[in-house]
Amino acid sequence: MVKRSIPLALIPASLLVLFLSLFHALSAQASPLQQETEKYCLSCHTDPNKNITLPNGDVLSIYISADTVHQSVHSQAGIECEVCHTNITTYPHPTIEYSSHRDLSLAYYQVCQKCHPTNYEKSLDSIHAQMTAGGMLNAPVCTDCHGVHDIRPPDQPRSRISETCSQCHPAIVDQYKQSVHGAALFGSNNQDVPVCTDCHGVHNIQDPRSAQFRVKEPELCAGCHANSLLMGKYNLPANVYDIYKTSWHGVDLSVYKARWPTIWHDSAVCTDCHGVHDIRQTNDPASHVNAANLLATCQKCHPKAGPNWTGAWTGHNVISRERTPYLHYTKVFYTYLVPFMLWMCVIYVALQVIRATVGRVKRNLL
Amino acid sequence: MRARPSTGMPVIYQERTFRRFALTQRLEHVVIFLCITVLLLTGLPQKYRATSWSQDLLSSPVRVQRIQQIHHITAIVLALEILFHLGNAVILMARRKLPGHILPTFQDVRDAGQMLRYLLFLRKTKPSFGKYNFEQKVTYWFLFFSIGIMVITGLILLFPVTVTRWLPGSVVPASKMAHSTEAIVTAIFVVIWHFYHVHIERLNLSVFTGRLSEQEMRTYHSEEFEHLTGEKADPAGTGGKA
Repeated sequence: MVKRSIPLALIPASLLVLFLSLFHALSAQASPLQQETEKYCLSCHTDPNKNITLPNGDVLSIYISADTVHQSVHSQAGIECEVCHTNITTYPHPTIEYSSHRDLSLAYYQVCQKCHPTNYEKSLDSIHAQMTAGGMLNAPVCTDCHGVHDIRPPDQPRSRISETCSQCHPAIVDQYKQSVHGAALFGSNNQDVPVCTDCHGVHNIQDPRSAQFRVKEPELCAGCHANSLLMGKYNLPANVYDIYKTSWHGVDLSVYKARWPTIWHDSAVCTDCHGVHDIRQTNDPASHVNAANLLATCQKCHPKAGPNWTGAWTGHNVISRERTPYLHYTKVFYTYLVPFMLWMCVIYVALQVIRATVGRVKRNLL
Repeated sequence: MRARPSTGMPVIYQERTFRRFALTQRLEHVVIFLCITVLLLTGLPQKYRATSWSQDLLSSPVRVQRIQQIHHITAIVLALEILFHLGNAVILMARRKLPGHILPTFQDVRDAGQMLRYLLFLRKTKPSFGKYNFEQKVTYWFLFFSIGIMVITGLILLFPVTVTRWLPGSVVPASKMAHSTEAIVTAIFVVIWHFYHVHIERLNLSVFTGRLSEQEMRTYHSEEFEHLTGEKADPAGTGGKA
């Protein structure tokens, strides 16, 4: 009986949704959507004192604020209670079979895949899903980030994304808020700076400590820092990635990226020098790459390096006489020497071959 | 060449030869030749690390490490050979026995001008040369400075942290560029200039055998021949056309 009633209940509901969406499409300024079952459910669930005690002692509040529900994206799109609460079709409801609040969440979030299969499948590849599979049941599922009855657009305002992550990663988000990216996001609602998900991904969040993540990390930064239009807006150079790729670190990295992406490599990537969640402007005294801190940053990998060592780093700058004179004059020297030697050798040998051939022909034929 | 007499008895003709290189010089050439070949072969895949052929060749991090080890060991052998060469020169100089044949002189500039005129059909004969002609001096001195640059920049690249205790840090990237570019210039020079002169112009194996034939001496080193023998190098007076 229970099984059959699910499709039966869905037919009128989906017809209603279809009808309403047509209606909505025809006239965007039409009256608010009809919420028949929602109204019906809320007639009981708006009592703040309604609780259920689960077998493990968790107290499950079954109170739903009508305001919260009405502000959620689903309610506003006309998606009603029974779309998610598929097993509740009648009153009295079937008994709750979950031993704890977490059990209930872990069972209920499965319902998201009905409408959001792509994002659900992506989330199965995430580090969070791997941790859940490994027995860490507190690792987040859909509802932990998106909410339950209060699902709203996750990026409005944009800082909401990082606030969401801070529920479990508060120290990292605090550090991020001090960084050049985080300060711009929280301070001036900057729409260009990366929030957590821009670097870590949205649903298929990967382990950032892996070799694969590390080898692709400069590419990640280049997503913005090689975009000349975007960098121009902030008066930042957009060639930093291109110059990095020609550097010792960058060439080594490119080999690993092309051939051995799963093998850990030690050549410096952007975050090794600039920091991860604490990236600051280079002129900020707290920046890892500020002139005052640069040697200490180099010494993380080159422990015996002395004060002159930082001069070996040509920076993300093109070769110039002012900044890197040794390199500049070496380049000038070879710019002339290479073609000079090549042409000198070729022309001289060619002249000798011609002269010798002419001489031989003269001696033998004439 | 010489016709065999019809007497039926084998006749041995002895050709006069002249010593050009001492045994140590010949061995030095072999060492330099082998070292430069190995260094070039192990250096090129490192220089062109970003290309797919290099990545095919150095197909694992262990291979990269191994090729670098081979490169470093060979470089040390070459550096020791250079030290031997310089040390030998210093000792000979102290004993006032260093022959000055290889030193560049103003005559070399004149020879080069005459040679150029000859090559451009403005002159009928080649200039006459002593023990080393200006082409051979260019070969020696170009490789002398080239190997010098390679050894110095190579040491900076091998011990960058130590070197920057005394030298400014920017010598490291400058050395990287110089080492990598100088290698290509040297390879071009050896392949085009040196190979032409010792293989194509004529097969000159004297650096391996140590000796030159009388004919070679008369043709290519007439002044030295005359100096050593007191004979005229070109009695027929063909003017170096032979």
